[in-house]
Amino acid sequence: MIEVRDLWKSFGANQVLKGITLDITRGTTFVVLGGSGSGKTVLMKHVIGLLKPDRGTVRVDGLEISALEGRALTEARQVFGMVFQSAALFDSMTIFENVAFPLREKQRSIRSAELRERVIEKLRVVDLGEEVLQRWPSELSGGMRKRVALARALIGNPKVVLYDEPTTGLDPITTAYVDEMILNAKERLGITSMVISHDIASAFKVADRLAVLYDGQIAAQGTPDEVRRSQDPFVKKFLSTWFEKQ
Amino acid sequence: MVGRVRAAFEDFGDMLFFAGEVGAWALRPPFRLELLLAQMAAIGVGSTFIVAVTGVFTGMVLALQMNYALHQFSAEGFVGGSVALTLVRELSPVLTALMVTGRSGSAIATELGTMRVTEQIDAMETMAVSPIQYLVVPRVVASIIMFPLLTMLFSAIGWAGGYLMGVYVAQIPPGPFIEHTRTMVEIKDLMSGIYKGLAFGVLVSIVSTYRGFRASGGATGVGEGTTRAVVMSSIGILVVNYAITLITVGI
Repeated sequence: MIEVRDLWKSFGANQVLKGITLDITRGTTFVVLGGSGSGKTVLMKHVIGLLKPDRGTVRVDGLEISALEGRALTEARQVFGMVFQSAALFDSMTIFENVAFPLREKQRSIRSAELRERVIEKLRVVDLGEEVLQRWPSELSGGMRKRVALARALIGNPKVVLYDEPTTGLDPITTAYVDEMILNAKERLGITSMVISHDIASAFKVADRLAVLYDGQIAAQGTPDEVRRSQDPFVKKFLSTWFEKQ
Repeated sequence: MVGRVRAAFEDFGDMLFFAGEVGAWALRPPFRLELLLAQMAAIGVGSTFIVAVTGVFTGMVLALQMNYALHQFSAEGFVGGSVALTLVRELSPVLTALMVTGRSGSAIATELGTMRVTEQIDAMETMAVSPIQYLVVPRVVASIIMFPLLTMLFSAIGWAGGYLMGVYVAQIPPGPFIEHTRTMVEIKDLMSGIYKGLAFGVLVSIVSTYRGFRASGGATGVGEGTTRAVVMSSIGILVVNYAITLITVGI
Protein backbone atom coordinates (compact mmCIF):
# COMPACT_ATOMS: atom_id res chain seq x y z
CA MET A 1 0.00 0.00 0.00
CA ILE A 2 2.73 2.46 1.01
CA GLU A 3 6.31 1.96 -0.15
CA VAL A 4 9.07 4.27 1.02
CA ARG A 5 12.39 3.76 -0.77
CA ASP A 6 15.74 5.19 0.30
CA LEU A 7 14.32 8.54 1.48
CA TRP A 8 16.77 11.37 2.18
CA LYS A 9 15.94 14.84 3.40
CA SER A 10 17.94 17.71 4.85
CA PHE A 11 17.03 21.18 6.07
CA GLY A 12 20.04 23.42 5.54
CA ALA A 13 23.00 21.61 7.04
CA ASN A 14 20.78 19.38 9.11
CA GLN A 15 20.42 15.89 7.59
CA VAL A 16 17.09 14.70 8.99
CA LEU A 17 16.35 11.53 7.02
CA LYS A 18 19.20 9.25 5.94
CA GLY A 19 17.89 6.57 3.66
CA ILE A 20 14.56 5.34 5.03
CA THR A 21 13.03 2.25 3.44
CA LEU A 22 9.81 0.71 4.66
CA ASP A 23 6.60 -0.99 3.48
CA ILE A 24 3.14 -0.70 4.91
CA THR A 25 0.74 -3.52 3.97
CA ARG A 26 -2.91 -2.84 3.25
CA GLY A 27 -5.21 -3.09 6.26
CA THR A 28 -2.45 -3.06 8.87
CA THR A 29 -1.24 -0.57 11.42
CA PHE A 30 2.37 0.52 11.14
CA VAL A 31 3.95 2.46 13.98
CA VAL A 32 7.06 4.60 13.62
CA LEU A 33 8.65 4.93 17.04
CA GLY A 34 11.35 7.43 17.84
CA GLY A 35 12.50 10.13 20.20
CA SER A 36 12.19 13.84 19.65
CA GLY A 37 14.12 15.01 16.61
CA SER A 38 14.48 11.52 15.17
CA GLY A 39 12.78 12.67 11.96
CA LYS A 40 9.52 10.78 12.34
CA THR A 41 7.23 13.75 11.67
CA VAL A 42 9.31 14.69 8.64
CA LEU A 43 8.89 11.12 7.40
CA MET A 44 5.11 11.34 7.77
CA LYS A 45 4.97 14.67 5.95
CA HIS A 46 6.72 13.01 3.02
CA VAL A 47 4.15 10.24 2.92
CA ILE A 48 1.29 12.74 2.46
CA GLY A 49 3.33 14.96 0.15
CA LEU A 50 3.63 18.02 2.42
CA LEU A 51 7.41 17.78 1.95
CA LYS A 52 9.51 16.79 -1.06
CA PRO A 53 12.45 14.41 -0.59
CA ASP A 54 16.00 15.27 -1.65
CA ARG A 55 16.36 11.70 -2.83
CA GLY A 56 14.24 8.56 -2.84
CA THR A 57 10.56 7.88 -3.49
CA VAL A 58 7.25 7.43 -1.73
CA ARG A 59 4.60 5.37 -3.52
CA VAL A 60 1.03 4.98 -2.37
CA ASP A 61 -0.98 2.34 -4.21
CA GLY A 62 1.66 2.40 -6.92
CA LEU A 63 1.38 6.18 -7.40
CA GLU A 64 4.57 8.12 -6.80
CA ILE A 65 3.40 10.81 -4.35
CA SER A 66 6.86 12.30 -4.04
CA ALA A 67 6.88 13.27 -7.74
CA LEU A 68 3.43 14.93 -7.84
CA GLU A 69 2.68 18.64 -7.81
CA GLY A 70 -0.35 20.91 -7.73
CA ARG A 71 -3.69 19.44 -8.69
CA ALA A 72 -2.41 15.88 -9.14
CA LEU A 73 -1.03 15.97 -5.60
CA THR A 74 -4.28 17.40 -4.26
CA GLU A 75 -6.16 14.54 -5.87
CA ALA A 76 -3.73 11.91 -4.68
CA ARG A 77 -4.17 13.17 -1.12
CA GLN A 78 -7.79 12.07 -1.14
CA VAL A 79 -6.72 8.54 -0.19
CA PHE A 80 -5.46 9.98 3.11
CA GLY A 81 -7.01 11.11 6.33
CA MET A 82 -4.73 12.67 8.89
CA VAL A 83 -5.13 13.06 12.64
CA PHE A 84 -2.86 15.78 13.99
CA GLN A 85 -1.08 15.83 17.32
CA SER A 86 -3.12 18.79 18.50
CA ALA A 87 -6.26 17.45 16.75
CA ALA A 88 -6.11 20.69 14.66
CA LEU A 89 -9.88 21.16 14.65
CA PHE A 90 -10.97 24.44 13.07
CA ASP A 91 -11.80 26.48 16.15
CA SER A 92 -14.07 28.86 14.27
CA MET A 93 -16.39 26.00 13.31
CA THR A 94 -18.74 23.74 15.27
CA ILE A 95 -18.08 20.00 15.53
CA PHE A 96 -20.60 19.36 12.77
CA GLU A 97 -18.94 21.88 10.44
CA ASN A 98 -15.51 20.46 11.27
CA VAL A 99 -16.41 16.88 10.41
CA ALA A 100 -18.46 17.96 7.37
CA PHE A 101 -15.71 20.25 6.02
CA PRO A 102 -13.66 17.79 3.88
CA LEU A 103 -16.79 16.25 2.35
CA ARG A 104 -18.48 19.57 1.69
CA GLU A 105 -15.35 20.81 -0.07
CA LYS A 106 -15.02 17.63 -2.13
CA GLN A 107 -18.66 17.40 -3.20
CA ARG A 108 -19.92 20.95 -3.22
CA SER A 109 -23.39 19.96 -4.38
CA ILE A 110 -24.00 17.44 -1.57
CA ARG A 111 -27.48 17.64 -0.02
CA SER A 112 -27.51 18.79 3.59
CA ALA A 113 -29.54 15.78 4.77
CA GLU A 114 -26.97 13.41 3.29
CA LEU A 115 -24.12 15.44 4.73
CA ARG A 116 -25.65 15.29 8.19
CA GLU A 117 -26.18 11.54 7.88
CA ARG A 118 -22.56 10.96 6.90
CA VAL A 119 -21.28 13.14 9.75
CA ILE A 120 -23.39 11.29 12.32
CA GLU A 121 -22.29 7.94 10.86
CA LYS A 122 -18.59 8.84 11.26
CA LEU A 123 -19.08 10.23 14.74
CA ARG A 124 -20.68 6.92 15.65
CA VAL A 125 -17.56 5.07 14.47
CA VAL A 126 -15.58 7.01 17.09
CA ASP A 127 -18.34 6.53 19.72
CA LEU A 128 -19.63 10.08 19.75
CA GLY A 129 -23.32 10.94 19.67
CA GLU A 130 -25.39 13.67 18.05
CA GLU A 131 -25.22 15.84 21.17
CA VAL A 132 -21.73 17.07 20.21
CA LEU A 133 -22.76 18.33 16.76
CA GLN A 134 -23.43 21.93 17.72
CA ARG A 135 -20.64 22.24 20.28
CA TRP A 136 -17.34 24.05 19.70
CA PRO A 137 -13.90 22.40 19.77
CA SER A 138 -12.92 24.45 22.83
CA GLU A 139 -15.79 22.87 24.80
CA LEU A 140 -14.52 19.30 24.36
CA SER A 141 -11.91 17.34 26.31
CA GLY A 142 -8.59 16.41 24.68
CA GLY A 143 -9.69 12.83 24.09
CA MET A 144 -12.98 13.89 22.53
CA ARG A 145 -11.19 16.34 20.25
CA LYS A 146 -8.95 13.51 19.05
CA ARG A 147 -12.00 11.44 18.25
CA VAL A 148 -13.64 14.28 16.36
CA ALA A 149 -10.37 14.68 14.46
CA LEU A 150 -10.50 11.00 13.51
CA ALA A 151 -14.15 11.31 12.44
CA ARG A 152 -13.13 14.26 10.26
CA ALA A 153 -10.25 12.22 8.81
CA LEU A 154 -12.62 9.32 8.06
CA ILE A 155 -15.42 11.27 6.40
CA GLY A 156 -13.92 11.11 2.92
CA ASN A 157 -13.61 7.31 3.27
CA PRO A 158 -9.81 7.36 3.10
CA LYS A 159 -7.77 4.20 2.50
CA VAL A 160 -4.97 5.37 4.77
CA VAL A 161 -5.13 7.25 8.07
CA LEU A 162 -2.00 8.95 9.41
CA TYR A 163 -1.77 9.67 13.12
CA ASP A 164 0.78 12.22 14.32
CA GLU A 165 1.63 11.51 17.98
CA PRO A 166 -1.95 10.56 18.85
CA THR A 167 -1.29 9.95 22.55
CA THR A 168 1.21 12.70 23.35
CA GLY A 169 0.15 14.82 26.30
CA LEU A 170 -2.85 12.69 27.22
CA ASP A 171 -3.50 11.05 30.61
CA PRO A 172 -3.29 7.21 30.82
CA ILE A 173 -7.05 6.65 30.60
CA THR A 174 -7.46 8.90 27.58
CA THR A 175 -4.39 7.25 26.03
CA ALA A 176 -6.04 3.83 26.38
CA TYR A 177 -9.15 5.31 24.80
CA VAL A 178 -7.22 6.65 21.81
CA ASP A 179 -5.48 3.27 21.37
CA GLU A 180 -8.91 1.62 21.28
CA MET A 181 -10.02 4.20 18.76
CA ILE A 182 -7.13 3.34 16.43
CA LEU A 183 -7.76 -0.40 16.75
CA ASN A 184 -11.48 0.10 16.17
CA ALA A 185 -10.96 2.15 13.03
CA LYS A 186 -8.84 -0.67 11.63
CA GLU A 187 -11.30 -3.42 12.56
CA ARG A 188 -14.52 -1.66 11.59
CA LEU A 189 -13.33 0.00 8.40
CA GLY A 190 -10.30 -2.08 7.35
CA ILE A 191 -8.17 1.03 7.20
CA THR A 192 -4.41 1.09 6.72
CA SER A 193 -2.82 3.22 9.43
CA MET A 194 0.54 4.84 9.96
CA VAL A 195 1.16 6.04 13.50
CA ILE A 196 4.02 8.32 14.55
CA SER A 197 4.71 8.03 18.26
CA HIS A 198 7.20 8.05 21.09
CA ASP A 199 4.76 6.32 23.40
CA ILE A 200 6.18 2.77 23.57
CA ALA A 201 3.27 1.17 25.45
CA SER A 202 0.74 2.54 23.03
CA ALA A 203 2.89 1.59 20.03
CA PHE A 204 3.16 -2.06 21.06
CA LYS A 205 -0.57 -2.17 21.68
CA VAL A 206 -1.74 -0.93 18.29
CA ALA A 207 1.05 -2.00 15.93
CA ASP A 208 0.99 -4.89 13.49
CA ARG A 209 4.48 -3.87 12.48
CA LEU A 210 6.74 -1.14 13.74
CA ALA A 211 9.97 0.63 13.02
CA VAL A 212 12.28 2.39 15.46
CA LEU A 213 13.78 5.56 14.04
CA TYR A 214 17.04 6.92 15.37
CA ASP A 215 19.01 9.82 13.94
CA GLY A 216 17.23 9.67 10.58
CA GLN A 217 17.75 5.94 10.11
CA ILE A 218 15.72 2.84 10.90
CA ALA A 219 17.38 1.07 13.82
CA ALA A 220 14.94 -1.85 13.85
CA GLN A 221 11.89 -2.89 11.89
CA GLY A 222 9.45 -5.80 12.13
CA THR A 223 6.61 -7.22 14.18
CA PRO A 224 6.41 -6.06 17.81
CA ASP A 225 8.10 -9.31 18.91
CA GLU A 226 10.94 -8.95 16.44
CA VAL A 227 11.59 -5.35 17.48
CA ARG A 228 11.49 -6.36 21.16
CA ARG A 229 14.30 -8.89 20.50
CA SER A 230 16.39 -6.46 18.45
CA GLN A 231 20.08 -6.34 19.37
CA ASP A 232 20.55 -2.76 18.16
CA PRO A 233 22.04 -0.80 21.10
CA PHE A 234 19.77 2.23 20.63
CA VAL A 235 16.64 0.12 20.35
CA LYS A 236 17.60 -1.84 23.50
CA LYS A 237 18.16 1.40 25.38
CA PHE A 238 15.01 3.04 24.04
CA LEU A 239 12.81 0.08 24.96
CA SER A 240 14.50 -0.74 28.27
CA THR A 241 13.01 2.30 30.00
CA TRP A 242 9.60 0.87 29.33
CA PHE A 243 10.36 -2.82 29.96
CA GLU A 244 11.75 -1.96 33.38
CA LYS A 245 8.38 -0.52 34.32
CA GLN A 246 6.58 -3.72 33.30
CA MET B 1 24.56 42.89 8.86
CA VAL B 2 25.01 41.33 5.39
CA GLY B 3 23.11 38.30 6.64
CA ARG B 4 20.20 40.41 7.83
CA VAL B 5 19.95 42.34 4.58
CA ARG B 6 20.05 39.09 2.70
CA ALA B 7 17.34 37.59 4.90
CA ALA B 8 15.17 40.67 4.35
CA PHE B 9 15.51 40.33 0.58
CA GLU B 10 14.73 36.62 0.74
CA ASP B 11 11.69 37.37 2.85
CA PHE B 12 10.50 39.99 0.37
CA GLY B 13 10.99 37.61 -2.53
CA ASP B 14 9.08 34.91 -0.71
CA MET B 15 6.25 37.38 -0.15
CA LEU B 16 6.11 38.28 -3.84
CA PHE B 17 5.96 34.59 -4.67
CA PHE B 18 3.15 34.22 -2.13
CA ALA B 19 1.29 37.13 -3.75
CA GLY B 20 1.64 35.42 -7.13
CA GLU B 21 0.15 32.24 -5.71
CA VAL B 22 -2.74 34.20 -4.22
CA GLY B 23 -3.39 35.75 -7.63
CA ALA B 24 -3.37 32.35 -9.33
CA TRP B 25 -5.72 30.78 -6.77
CA ALA B 26 -8.09 33.75 -6.94
CA LEU B 27 -8.82 32.98 -10.60
CA ARG B 28 -9.43 29.29 -10.08
CA PRO B 29 -12.82 27.81 -9.16
CA PRO B 30 -14.51 27.11 -6.81
CA PHE B 31 -15.33 30.74 -5.99
CA ARG B 32 -16.50 30.95 -2.42
CA LEU B 33 -18.88 33.89 -2.35
CA GLU B 34 -20.04 33.27 1.20
CA LEU B 35 -16.46 33.50 2.52
CA LEU B 36 -15.85 36.68 0.52
CA LEU B 37 -19.01 38.30 1.89
CA ALA B 38 -18.05 37.33 5.44
CA GLN B 39 -14.64 38.97 5.01
CA MET B 40 -16.16 42.06 3.38
CA ALA B 41 -18.35 42.38 6.46
CA ALA B 42 -15.43 41.89 8.84
CA ILE B 43 -12.89 44.11 7.08
CA GLY B 44 -15.25 46.66 5.52
CA VAL B 45 -18.48 47.00 7.46
CA GLY B 46 -16.65 46.31 10.72
CA SER B 47 -14.28 49.21 10.06
CA THR B 48 -16.90 51.84 9.22
CA PHE B 49 -17.13 53.17 12.76
CA ILE B 50 -13.40 53.71 13.23
CA VAL B 51 -13.08 55.16 9.72
CA ALA B 52 -16.03 57.51 10.33
CA VAL B 53 -14.65 58.74 13.65
CA THR B 54 -11.16 59.29 12.21
CA GLY B 55 -12.70 60.97 9.16
CA VAL B 56 -14.91 63.42 11.01
CA PHE B 57 -12.13 64.57 13.34
CA THR B 58 -9.63 64.86 10.51
CA GLY B 59 -12.08 66.94 8.47
CA MET B 60 -12.90 69.19 11.42
CA VAL B 61 -9.27 69.84 12.31
CA LEU B 62 -8.38 70.37 8.67
CA ALA B 63 -11.16 72.97 8.22
CA LEU B 64 -10.06 74.91 11.30
CA GLN B 65 -6.41 74.89 10.21
CA MET B 66 -7.23 75.83 6.62
CA ASN B 67 -9.45 78.63 7.88
CA TYR B 68 -6.61 79.85 10.10
CA ALA B 69 -4.19 79.90 7.16
CA LEU B 70 -6.50 81.19 4.41
CA HIS B 71 -7.98 83.86 6.70
CA GLN B 72 -4.66 85.69 6.44
CA PHE B 73 -5.32 86.16 2.70
CA SER B 74 -9.05 86.75 3.21
CA ALA B 75 -9.59 83.58 1.19
CA GLU B 76 -11.81 81.64 3.65
CA GLY B 77 -14.13 80.73 0.79
CA PHE B 78 -11.53 78.25 -0.40
CA VAL B 79 -11.60 76.24 2.84
CA GLY B 80 -14.18 73.77 1.52
CA GLY B 81 -12.22 73.06 -1.65
CA SER B 82 -8.89 72.79 0.13
CA VAL B 83 -10.29 70.39 2.72
CA ALA B 84 -11.88 68.23 0.03
CA LEU B 85 -8.75 68.16 -2.12
CA THR B 86 -6.44 67.31 0.80
CA LEU B 87 -8.82 64.57 1.90
CA VAL B 88 -9.51 62.82 -1.39
CA ARG B 89 -5.94 62.95 -2.68
CA GLU B 90 -3.91 62.24 0.44
CA LEU B 91 -5.41 61.95 3.87
CA SER B 92 -8.38 59.68 3.22
CA PRO B 93 -6.49 56.85 1.53
CA VAL B 94 -3.52 57.01 3.91
CA LEU B 95 -5.39 57.41 7.20
CA THR B 96 -8.05 54.87 6.20
CA ALA B 97 -5.36 52.35 5.32
CA LEU B 98 -3.48 52.98 8.57
CA MET B 99 -6.63 52.63 10.69
CA VAL B 100 -7.78 49.47 8.89
CA THR B 101 -4.28 48.01 9.21
CA GLY B 102 -4.47 48.49 12.96
CA ARG B 103 -7.91 46.99 13.16
CA SER B 104 -8.16 44.32 10.45
CA GLY B 105 -4.57 43.73 9.32
CA SER B 106 -3.58 42.76 12.84
CA ALA B 107 -6.68 40.57 13.18
CA ILE B 108 -5.91 38.78 9.91
CA ALA B 109 -2.28 38.13 10.87
CA THR B 110 -3.25 36.85 14.32
CA GLU B 111 -6.03 34.61 13.06
CA LEU B 112 -3.98 32.99 10.30
CA GLY B 113 -0.90 32.82 12.56
CA THR B 114 -2.87 30.95 15.22
CA MET B 115 -4.28 28.59 12.62
CA ARG B 116 -0.74 27.97 11.36
CA VAL B 117 0.84 27.16 14.73
CA THR B 118 -2.09 24.97 15.81
CA GLU B 119 -1.70 22.96 12.57
CA GLN B 120 -5.15 23.98 11.27
CA ILE B 121 -3.61 25.18 8.00
CA ASP B 122 -1.68 21.90 7.57
CA ALA B 123 -4.88 20.01 8.33
CA MET B 124 -6.72 21.89 5.60
CA GLU B 125 -3.97 21.08 3.13
CA THR B 126 -4.19 17.36 3.91
CA MET B 127 -7.94 17.55 3.18
CA ALA B 128 -7.15 18.54 -0.40
CA VAL B 129 -8.34 22.11 0.21
CA SER B 130 -5.93 24.91 -0.64
CA PRO B 131 -5.56 27.12 2.44
CA ILE B 132 -4.48 29.95 0.16
CA GLN B 133 -7.72 29.72 -1.75
CA TYR B 134 -9.90 29.12 1.28
CA LEU B 135 -8.31 31.52 3.78
CA VAL B 136 -6.15 34.05 1.96
CA VAL B 137 -8.04 34.81 -1.26
CA PRO B 138 -11.30 35.96 0.41
CA ARG B 139 -9.34 38.29 2.73
CA VAL B 140 -7.31 39.79 -0.10
CA VAL B 141 -10.25 40.24 -2.47
CA ALA B 142 -12.41 41.69 0.33
CA SER B 143 -9.65 44.20 1.14
CA ILE B 144 -9.28 45.21 -2.51
CA ILE B 145 -13.03 45.89 -2.67
CA MET B 146 -13.44 47.51 0.73
CA PHE B 147 -10.37 49.77 0.99
CA PRO B 148 -11.50 52.14 -1.81
CA LEU B 149 -15.06 52.18 -0.42
CA LEU B 150 -13.81 53.01 3.07
CA THR B 151 -11.57 55.70 1.55
CA MET B 152 -14.62 57.29 -0.10
CA LEU B 153 -16.53 57.07 3.17
CA PHE B 154 -13.63 58.78 4.96
CA SER B 155 -13.64 61.60 2.39
CA ALA B 156 -17.39 62.13 2.58
CA ILE B 157 -17.55 62.17 6.37
CA GLY B 158 -14.35 64.22 6.60
CA TRP B 159 -15.76 66.85 4.25
CA ALA B 160 -19.00 66.91 6.27
CA GLY B 161 -16.94 67.49 9.42
CA GLY B 162 -15.11 70.28 7.61
CA TYR B 163 -18.44 71.82 6.58
CA LEU B 164 -19.63 71.75 10.19
CA MET B 165 -16.55 73.58 11.44
CA GLY B 166 -16.23 75.90 8.45
CA VAL B 167 -19.83 77.00 8.18
CA TYR B 168 -21.07 76.83 11.77
CA VAL B 169 -17.92 77.61 13.76
CA ALA B 170 -15.77 79.73 11.42
CA GLN B 171 -18.86 81.39 9.91
CA ILE B 172 -17.83 80.84 6.28
CA PRO B 173 -20.86 81.31 4.01
CA PRO B 174 -22.05 77.88 2.77
CA GLY B 175 -22.31 79.07 -0.85
CA PRO B 176 -18.59 79.58 -1.58
CA PHE B 177 -17.71 76.62 0.66
CA ILE B 178 -19.68 74.25 -1.57
CA GLU B 179 -19.00 76.04 -4.85
CA HIS B 180 -15.22 76.01 -4.43
CA THR B 181 -15.36 72.33 -3.49
CA ARG B 182 -17.12 71.67 -6.81
CA THR B 183 -14.66 73.63 -8.90
CA MET B 184 -11.46 72.56 -7.18
CA VAL B 185 -12.06 68.79 -6.95
CA GLU B 186 -12.06 66.98 -10.28
CA ILE B 187 -12.77 63.38 -11.17
CA LYS B 188 -9.04 62.69 -11.53
CA ASP B 189 -8.53 63.77 -7.91
CA LEU B 190 -11.22 61.37 -6.74
CA MET B 191 -9.74 58.60 -8.86
CA SER B 192 -6.24 59.20 -7.49
CA GLY B 193 -7.58 58.52 -3.97
CA ILE B 194 -9.41 55.42 -5.14
CA TYR B 195 -6.31 54.05 -6.86
CA LYS B 196 -4.40 54.56 -3.66
CA GLY B 197 -7.13 52.75 -1.77
CA LEU B 198 -6.84 49.82 -4.19
CA ALA B 199 -3.06 49.71 -3.85
CA PHE B 200 -3.22 49.84 -0.05
CA GLY B 201 -5.88 47.12 -0.04
CA VAL B 202 -3.52 44.80 -1.92
CA LEU B 203 -0.51 45.81 0.19
CA VAL B 204 -2.09 45.46 3.63
CA SER B 205 -3.94 42.21 2.90
CA ILE B 206 -0.94 40.51 1.27
CA VAL B 207 1.46 41.56 4.03
CA SER B 208 -0.96 40.56 6.81
CA THR B 209 -1.95 37.20 5.36
CA TYR B 210 1.69 36.43 4.49
CA ARG B 211 2.85 37.20 8.04
CA GLY B 212 0.11 35.03 9.48
CA PHE B 213 0.75 32.23 7.01
CA ARG B 214 4.47 32.13 7.77
CA ALA B 215 4.12 32.39 11.56
CA SER B 216 5.94 29.73 13.55
CA GLY B 217 6.75 28.81 17.11
CA GLY B 218 3.64 29.24 19.24
CA ALA B 219 2.14 32.33 20.84
CA THR B 220 5.35 34.37 20.63
CA GLY B 221 5.67 33.63 16.94
CA VAL B 222 2.08 34.71 16.28
CA GLY B 223 2.63 37.95 18.22
CA GLU B 224 5.83 38.64 16.35
CA GLY B 225 4.12 37.97 13.02
CA THR B 226 1.32 40.39 13.89
CA THR B 227 3.77 43.11 14.94
CA ARG B 228 5.70 42.71 11.71
CA ALA B 229 2.48 42.74 9.69
CA VAL B 230 1.41 46.06 11.20
CA VAL B 231 4.86 47.68 10.97
CA MET B 232 5.49 46.50 7.40
CA SER B 233 2.00 47.53 6.26
CA SER B 234 2.26 50.98 7.84
CA ILE B 235 5.67 51.74 6.38
CA GLY B 236 4.56 50.27 3.06
CA ILE B 237 1.49 52.54 2.99
CA LEU B 238 3.63 55.66 3.46
CA VAL B 239 6.22 54.64 0.88
CA VAL B 240 3.67 53.54 -1.74
CA ASN B 241 1.65 56.71 -1.12
CA TYR B 242 4.72 58.82 -1.79
CA ALA B 243 5.44 56.87 -4.98
CA ILE B 244 1.89 57.23 -6.31
CA THR B 245 1.78 60.94 -5.49
CA LEU B 246 5.10 61.45 -7.24
CA ILE B 247 3.82 59.69 -10.34
CA THR B 248 0.41 61.38 -10.45
CA VAL B 249 1.45 64.93 -9.46
CA GLY B 250 4.93 64.96 -10.93
CA ILE B 251 7.75 67.08 -9.65
